[in-house]
Amino acid sequence: MDQECCCWNKDGIKQADCPEIGAGEEDLLVSKRQRNLDKCCECPRFLHDLKQLHDDANPLAAILTSFLEEYRRQKNQIQSLVSFLDIKTLEIRFLHELGSVLQSSVDLDEVLSVALTAITSGKGFGMNRAFLLLCDRKEGMLNGYLGIGPRNLEEASQVWNEIVQNDMDLQTLAQNFRLNKLSSERAKFHDLLEQLTVPLSNKEHILIKALDGKRPIMVEGAFQHPDVPPELARLLGVDTFLLMPLISRNRRVGMIIADNFITHRTITEEDMHSLETFGFPVAFAIERASLYDKLQIELNRVTEAGKKLKEQQELIVRMENMALVGRITSSIAHSVRNPLMIIGGFARSMLKNSPASDPKRTFIESIVAETRQLEGVLDEILNYSDSLYPTRDFWDVNQLVETVLRDTADNLTSLGYATTYLPGHNLSPVYIDFKQLSYCLRTVLQNDIAGIGADRSIVIHSENGADGVILMVEDHSRDISQAELDHLLVPFSETRDLGAGLGLALCKTMLEKQGVLFVAQADAHDGIRYTITLPTRKEEHS
Amino acid sequence: MSRLLVVDDEANIRLLYAEELKDEGYEVVTAASSAEATEKLQKGAFDLAVLDIKLKNESGIDLLQKLVKERHDMPVILCSAFSCYKDDFSAWLADGYVVKSGDLTELKQEIARLLAKKMQKEKTKL
Repeated sequence: MDQECCCWNKDGIKQADCPEIGAGEEDLLVSKRQRNLDKCCECPRFLHDLKQLHDDANPLAAILTSFLEEYRRQKNQIQSLVSFLDIKTLEIRFLHELGSVLQSSVDLDEVLSVALTAITSGKGFGMNRAFLLLCDRKEGMLNGYLGIGPRNLEEASQVWNEIVQNDMDLQTLAQNFRLNKLSSERAKFHDLLEQLTVPLSNKEHILIKALDGKRPIMVEGAFQHPDVPPELARLLGVDTFLLMPLISRNRRVGMIIADNFITHRTITEEDMHSLETFGFPVAFAIERASLYDKLQIELNRVTEAGKKLKEQQELIVRMENMALVGRITSSIAHSVRNPLMIIGGFARSMLKNSPASDPKRTFIESIVAETRQLEGVLDEILNYSDSLYPTRDFWDVNQLVETVLRDTADNLTSLGYATTYLPGHNLSPVYIDFKQLSYCLRTVLQNDIAGIGADRSIVIHSENGADGVILMVEDHSRDISQAELDHLLVPFSETRDLGAGLGLALCKTMLEKQGVLFVAQADAHDGIRYTITLPTRKEEHS
Repeated sequence: MSRLLVVDDEANIRLLYAEELKDEGYEVVTAASSAEATEKLQKGAFDLAVLDIKLKNESGIDLLQKLVKERHDMPVILCSAFSCYKDDFSAWLADGYVVKSGDLTELKQEIARLLAKKMQKEKTKL
């Protein structure tokens, strides 16, 4: 062995001495041990010297060869382990990124976007398509919910090019998908998702088997597979696909079906295990997002109930106060009514029997006039206190109108009024306080009886409307402006024709308290039209 | 001459009604309570009754129900300080309803109307 020519035996060498040492490996020039391990054992010069040793029948040659082979084997093994570790590191980074996004989100659409994007993106599991099915425990069904991926090669090329050009990370991809593509993807796979529906009780179906088994299933040869229903194979249109059940704390959340519909790349056992690891946080995130949705609904309900309770409490306090005021008012009014009636009655009696020349007649007339006015005020106070407690129920509008017309018929007829009622067909029952409505309708009719027009006719119509039953009272005798009529709807207003007091204003207040719409319109040539819209549903009056 | 029964717990109201209705040509008998009214009804026949709804601690509505049952051919007019009773179901049994007022015109008109109606009915029966 020529010791001088063998660079592997030198402590230090020059760059030109070893063609195996490249740029950046200059430290090997001065480190004999490292150079021997990294470069010399594969160097033709070293191998040549080793062969020479064999040829010289040196007993070390066999041992050195054996060491060399073992060294090479272990080196290869280490390299493959390093590659494996690199892949796993990438996977862990990916899962960490995914987990961070999934754990920080309680929005179901966001969770699903992240999950399906991770399965189908090249930076993720790189599957071509993925379908998500969710369990509907209430209905006992596994239903197709969302699909992602291209439907054909052309679309695939376009989407994948776009992804490569934009070079987005997983989170950005998912966000982009959620904002721009979620609805369109759902619509794109609508037909397919609709058919991906299986009852959870169908234990023989492969999807339910995977779900109940809580383990992923790799389906190969789907078209001939004894457990795969032919309609499922036809629907997916692929021979190989992966079923990944989504299980959260032993509860069935749903299922992901993933395949390589476009590229037909083989789905490996490794893919399956990676997806299985990924399935747990996804299932947990989906369940948490669903629970959060439900919680939000319940929270809204509780908030709404709290709000209503507060309103009810305030209403009760208000009603208690009003009830007290009402009772006091009513009691005072009743106590005043009888003496007032006696004073007014006897004054009228005296007036009737006193001669026209009696100087005291003027005084008695004043007593009569004042008591009449006080009685009017009392009527209004009593009606108002009565209006504080509406008692609503469902009533027939025809019965209401006919009762009021019967009560007022004599009075109206004696004043030369003709009334006509044109009842509507199949009128819905209305939710009103019958007493108050009767009072209001009577007031509307009787307010008009001091009319001055030649045409003393009142026509009442009723019909079903969009917001309830519409009751229309048309009095053709009136000649009043809209401004005067509006003035009448203000409490204690006074007009030339229709007198003073609460009258129509009280009616309007009473009706509005019941959720009844009251509109009065004046027409210079056609009198007054009152439109009363009576509610047909309970909710309308709250 | 038509005979009327006026039931009211206020003495002055009974007096007012009696004076005014006598002037209209009716024979008027008054009662201050349900018991007194029942007693007078047992003693003689009446063509019409005018009842106050609030009779101290009693209810004119109870008396009304009794009269409708026992004297269904005798019209009854309810008189009250409250107009709200007019739409009360229990008051619907009465033939007429008048809100108390110093102006008795409405009451007189109602009495005349119901007596005429009663007379017409009796004529038809004959």
